[in-house]
Amino acid sequence: MSLPSLSVVPIFATPFAVMELPAALPTTPVVAQLLARHAAAKLGTAPAAARLCYESRDDLLEWNEEPVRQLCSEILRGVWSTVAAVTTLTSEQLATLSMQARGWFTVIQQNGCVQAASHPLTAWCGIYCLEAPQPSAERSDSGVVRLYESRLGTMFSDATNSALRVPFNHGHSSWRAVPGQLAVFPGSLTHEIPLVRSAGPLTLITVRTRFVGPGQEGLSRW
Amino acid sequence: MVGPALRLSPAFAVPILQTRRDSSEQLNRALETLFLERESDEYRNPTPSHTPQAETFESRFNLFRWPEPCIQELRRFVLDNIAQAVIQTTTVTPEELSRLKFQNHTWFHITRYAGSFVAHNHPLASWSAVYCVRAGEEVREHPQSGLLRFFDPRQGANAYLDAANEHLHPPFALRSLDLRLTAGDLVVFPSYLFHEVTPFHGADMRITVATNCWFV
Repeated sequence: MSLPSLSVVPIFATPFAVMELPAALPTTPVVAQLLARHAAAKLGTAPAAARLCYESRDDLLEWNEEPVRQLCSEILRGVWSTVAAVTTLTSEQLATLSMQARGWFTVIQQNGCVQAASHPLTAWCGIYCLEAPQPSAERSDSGVVRLYESRLGTMFSDATNSALRVPFNHGHSSWRAVPGQLAVFPGSLTHEIPLVRSAGPLTLITVRTRFVGPGQEGLSRW
Repeated sequence: MVGPALRLSPAFAVPILQTRRDSSEQLNRALETLFLERESDEYRNPTPSHTPQAETFESRFNLFRWPEPCIQELRRFVLDNIAQAVIQTTTVTPEELSRLKFQNHTWFHITRYAGSFVAHNHPLASWSAVYCVRAGEEVREHPQSGLLRFFDPRQGANAYLDAANEHLHPPFALRSLDLRLTAGDLVVFPSYLFHEVTPFHGADMRITVATNCWFV
């Protein structure tokens, strides 16, 4: 039997960008230590359970410490690169946009997690990994960022549509956070960090961003 | 100023039915004893649909075929309530329902410290239900421990929020629904609805029975 030639393309695709930030690497350990000290000071005498996951206020992009400013600047550049790669905007058009962004950091210890959430009023979300524990042999999703399936799924399942290959398959998608890497994806995408089962902190910086064109009315405050 | 009369109704609504079995202590004790006795490879689900966790035991899907009286008592309670859910939410009459063949996959979960179940739904089923045999320790420091969380199916609707849509009344609110089950509680919901069990931080265990039903 000869098969017809066919063209299969992914429609309704979600952009998910992962990139190394070489310029951020030298400052990453310094910032990780700084953030760990900040978290420890804020947690103070908090109960042990509360220490499993520390999430800072979303004012990280306003911090004055130079290593933090440098690192965050690289993260935001990574978001710009993603926008340039996935939109039809020319570089001239992109240059007319101004970015609005909020940022915070999260330190997740063994047995800590971040509940599923999406970010309203956000076009793009970026997650940069500063440090990560070893994967857990017992729990494959330990230390990953899990992005929830966002397409309206079919409730009809058979032997073929349940075995679709990437990128057509249904189900959640996971990114194992690697120190020095930035992941960028739509802010509307629900994501979570499942329970971390390995020892050692998972330290992440998250930014939520949106872009305002010339003459556009202001967006609501965050 | 007197405005025109408004008629406000929930369109695209998701039916969630909650009930409770009165005096369920004896039944739950019998179920717990039986499940703990059978928490072994012989009774473990051999083909789990999700990556198994050591902290969560999932049984085979034939639970309601077990002949033990406690299982059959639970079967009647769960399936009767699912039948009620169908009657209350559809145009199917009790007579029509009685002519349908009521199929189910039913299993139990035993979840210990750090166990959870990733967000999922159940293709090829119409109604699902969860019965709570044992709620597990409630940990004050972890208010989100061991919750049954239903995700809002209106995905993306909360991507733009302002003062006029941020605080909608239930059932219009754009957020997930968290339920903390207690022993004897039953929740019935459409199988298409995504749901998860959040990480359990109790020192003991959380035991539930879940079922997926379809009608032929």
